[in-house]
Amino acid sequence: MLSGKTLILGSGPYARDMAASLLDRGDKVMIATEDDTFDLPSEAEQAEIFTGTKLTSCRGSVGDFAFTLSGNGEKIYGTAASLVIAEEAGRKANFSHYGLSRSDRIISLSDLVKLLAGEETFSHVRKIVFLTGLKIESNPIVLEEIMEASLRLQSDFKVQTYVLTKNLKVAGNGLEALYRRTREAGTVYIKFTDTMPEIRQEEDGSLILLFTDEIMREKLSLRPDMTVVDERVLPSEYMGELAEILGLDTDEKGFPQSDNVHRIPVFTNRKGILVAGESGNMLSPVNLPADVGNVALRLRAEKADDSLDKADIGPGCARCLSCYRVCPYRAIRIIRNKPEIMPPACEGCGLCAAICPACVIMLAGLAHKEVSEEIPASVPQKGENFIPHIVAFCCSRSAARAEELAAEAGYTFPRGLKIVEVPCAGSISHDHIFSAFRNNADGVLMLTCHEGNCHSEYGNIYAKNRAEQIGDFFSEAGFETERLLVKTLASNMAKEFADTVSCFEKQISELGPSRLGK
Amino acid sequence: MPDKNVLVIGGGVAGLSAAIDLARLGVGVELVEKADALGGHARQFSCKATEKCVRCGACVVEEKLRDALEHSNISVSLNSEIQKLTKSGGRFSAELQKKDGESRTSETDAIILATGFRAFDPENKKPYGYKLFDNVITNLELERMLREKSIVSRPSDQQMPKKIAFVQCVGSRDSKLGNLWCSKICCGSALRMARLIKMRQAETEITFFHIDVQTFGRDFQTFYEAAQNEVRMVRAIPGDVFKTDDDGLKVSCFDNSAQENVDEIFDLLVLSVGITPGRDTKNLSALLNLKTTDTGFFEASQEGIFTAGAALGPMSIAEAVASAGYAACEALNYLDIQKNWELG
Repeated sequence: MLSGKTLILGSGPYARDMAASLLDRGDKVMIATEDDTFDLPSEAEQAEIFTGTKLTSCRGSVGDFAFTLSGNGEKIYGTAASLVIAEEAGRKANFSHYGLSRSDRIISLSDLVKLLAGEETFSHVRKIVFLTGLKIESNPIVLEEIMEASLRLQSDFKVQTYVLTKNLKVAGNGLEALYRRTREAGTVYIKFTDTMPEIRQEEDGSLILLFTDEIMREKLSLRPDMTVVDERVLPSEYMGELAEILGLDTDEKGFPQSDNVHRIPVFTNRKGILVAGESGNMLSPVNLPADVGNVALRLRAEKADDSLDKADIGPGCARCLSCYRVCPYRAIRIIRNKPEIMPPACEGCGLCAAICPACVIMLAGLAHKEVSEEIPASVPQKGENFIPHIVAFCCSRSAARAEELAAEAGYTFPRGLKIVEVPCAGSISHDHIFSAFRNNADGVLMLTCHEGNCHSEYGNIYAKNRAEQIGDFFSEAGFETERLLVKTLASNMAKEFADTVSCFEKQISELGPSRLGK
Repeated sequence: MPDKNVLVIGGGVAGLSAAIDLARLGVGVELVEKADALGGHARQFSCKATEKCVRCGACVVEEKLRDALEHSNISVSLNSEIQKLTKSGGRFSAELQKKDGESRTSETDAIILATGFRAFDPENKKPYGYKLFDNVITNLELERMLREKSIVSRPSDQQMPKKIAFVQCVGSRDSKLGNLWCSKICCGSALRMARLIKMRQAETEITFFHIDVQTFGRDFQTFYEAAQNEVRMVRAIPGDVFKTDDDGLKVSCFDNSAQENVDEIFDLLVLSVGITPGRDTKNLSALLNLKTTDTGFFEASQEGIFTAGAALGPMSIAEAVASAGYAACEALNYLDIQKNWELG
């Protein structure tokens, strides 16, 4: 079991369930939330609760984070083994998408949900129109809320409901069945494909909707007593601050978990920092206990054996801090103006080793000498019998696996092909590439993951940039740029691996032996 | 030697994932798969990256498979099925039978059921002519074709099709069949494959027949806008399919804007078949005394048995991994309670 405490950030249902689940197991839990009134049930008294606070700094790495919480003019310092971000997402109503402004009769979906939870009787409301997914695509979370609301409006309040949409987002558990139930209850769905409703807001705040029914091709109009506008699920402002403070990669909307399959289900780019529920930008209503369970499981696994090779900064560091800036896992800290690797956080990707201008960062298997030795030295051949020496640097997560699959599937590779497996394409340094050419390679391939699929997030981008730099250098020096090629491959692309290497061999055969060798 | 053991039934992405999650925490895992290879449906899927990764998750399965095979706490039994299950003193005793008839008993503390799904058999939708016409295939067959050959060709003559049509919701959202669910993954699978084909075989014209386009992926808005430029989206589900003399397929459907039936000829028809409850669901539910829901999929968990992945209902690879993590967590909590109970 993980020794040390877990700091949970948040106050919503995810944070509560997370805390309860961890306390159940006897873990030590701290909760920090901006919410001044937050409290847990009395059986959870072992938890330390810091209300009215925000995380303002955090140093260290998994197992040993030192954080600062600030609030009400005070600062609280503490340590935690791991952090769980369980903040609730924000909502933004799409009034402007439909040219509308909020009024008593034009409300957001959240407004309606609140009314339904309160005392509202909808006594003067006969017709309610829901506008969803007409300008930008909606999602199953929003549709589920709309359908639940319309079911209640139809059956409990005898309100006629209409849902105007483009694509009905039923890709959530039980939503197709729920959709059928709302229709049986009387909800009318009007779908738009190649037309759009005209939405007019009158001076008195009332609304008229003019549209063509696409099936009957009839012109129709609706005058609802109330109009409900759909919403986008967005990261809260605090989530953005947390991403900044903790050095977390975000997705395109700004949620503190990048859109990368290696982060499935609750991981971030940093070991010991996990995301739960809405902080991970869910797209469909996720099972709350499932998400909590996953975080609990990963916290248990954190202490599990870690046999990865770790980077090590040797003597001769020029203190340029390139390694500190490049580390995708934030595993390097600065102590007395000197970078220092925090081994528990290091994932052994080698990005730091490749970027170090002093070449003093070591990682097992990545030393330039060792890589050079793997390339068979031979006298360049000429003429008809030319067999090109090809060095393929393969990312161990993608291309190296594709190579294995291709070999299993019976593909034959070029005779002069030498595979050099690297932990990440971002660990392929300029020196690696030059040493391959110096050791008689006629062509060098850098096989990386697809953009957005790199475990080290940008390792493949660094590889691509290095190849471009060397390509520029080659072309200035009058050397064939075609001898260095970057390609993206996934671990399951056996056929494409075989095609890539044989195509490259053909190209190099046509070019003839390299003049760069000894 | 692990002091607790879990039997994982099913070696697809959910089973593999749960096995790894447990093994890494020191639990002994016996992974039982009835087929002759691990990986399930998902391992047959193609990488659908165009210029960038599109997060289909197909590569995740490859990684899980490798991790499972490498882990010393996991033992794998292929070609094996569970025949009988008894429980006594808090432990399960499972009788496992191999295809060759060999049978043995496995003692275990808990069970994870990850038997996956059965793809809807489109022969049950006769008008589409699946199996009658060579050039009518399923989305799963297209996944396999793209994985094995990189490009798409017509089964009848191995020529590259110029016009491809995808038909969505075959066996999903269908009240006549009683399949009142959206299979969740088919829009993503079909549109990602469509864009991949457009990148590799740019001359191909692709039509997408659908009821609604479902949201998939965090960058769906961007993806969908790009897809609409490359793929013709038709909101209609074709009625009948006929074969032409040169193995083309005449598809007829109702055109709303023209208010009439229109016919169009395609070289290849791809049926996006739905996710339905696994073939063995009834058997297993009797054998394990497990309940099923009104859609016919398994319920989440019962005393010592935890369900994971598409055995619970349609889900993506990412969701299956999360579902497996949850089942593993529940199983661990269950084992902890048992351990405490044993220790008194």
